[in-house]
Amino acid sequence: MGIFRSMSISASGLTAQRLRMDVISQNIANEKTTRTANGTPYRRRVTVFQAQEQDFASVLSRESGMTGAGSAEDILSGGGVKVTAIQEDMSPLKRVYDPEHPDADADGYVNMPNVDITKEIIDMMSASRAYEANVTAFNTSKSMALKALEIGR
Amino acid sequence: MSDWMFKKIGLLERGLDAVWKRNEIIADNIANVDTPGFKASSLEFESLLAEELELNDSAVKIHKSRDKHMDNITLSNDSIKPVITKNENLTMRMDGNNVDIDREMASLAKNNLLYNALIQKISGELGRIRMAVQEGRK
Repeated sequence: MGIFRSMSISASGLTAQRLRMDVISQNIANEKTTRTANGTPYRRRVTVFQAQEQDFASVLSRESGMTGAGSAEDILSGGGVKVTAIQEDMSPLKRVYDPEHPDADADGYVNMPNVDITKEIIDMMSASRAYEANVTAFNTSKSMALKALEIGR
Repeated sequence: MSDWMFKKIGLLERGLDAVWKRNEIIADNIANVDTPGFKASSLEFESLLAEELELNDSAVKIHKSRDKHMDNITLSNDSIKPVITKNENLTMRMDGNNVDIDREMASLAKNNLLYNALIQKISGELGRIRMAVQEGRK
């Protein structure tokens, strides 16, 4: 019986939202970066979330009939969320006229990153709220587990 | 003898199992609130149990002179177990995800209360058994 499974599911949500927050911070910090390691302007990055299936151990114990018949254990819940990739947003870069800029082309235009600060802030709020929701879920699981220890007291 | 003594607790335990499982499902839904294409799941147990009790009951039902009188409860076997259903039909957002966070948070709180209530019932039941065992000596 996975006492800690629901907690690790919430933890996976916390990890994913925190990573998303990191990527958003990176985007905001590089809002005006015209030069990256490979010489091109910075491109906005996005996290790719994927729902995770249950781990091998619990599938095995179900399939091999280790759990009692009729118990809630032989049905599967999901296994939380994971971040499969951090991808670059390939939408066009902003072209800004600024002849004095060191990275300006022959016509005086500079390719600025495709970071939209408004979009990032809204994403940040969404990540923050989702993080809070996961914390609440975690705390609930924790209080339930603690309550179970009180049986028969 | 221990069979009938702990029968009620056995039923409550299965309730606990189901409610715990539902907590997992809700945690999973919440964790995947931003996953594109994710469909929320839900767990059904209480209604199935009620149905089963109703069915098993019919043969030995106590006669009720009034509708509002309580039913007797015969405890069923282990044939019923919780069922998880994925809600594939409803789509709320552009990314195909249909987790309704408000709903999930509400069921999380509700589920937690239900769990506490079941624990309290089990503790009460154990207390009564303990009383029967101890008070007999006096």
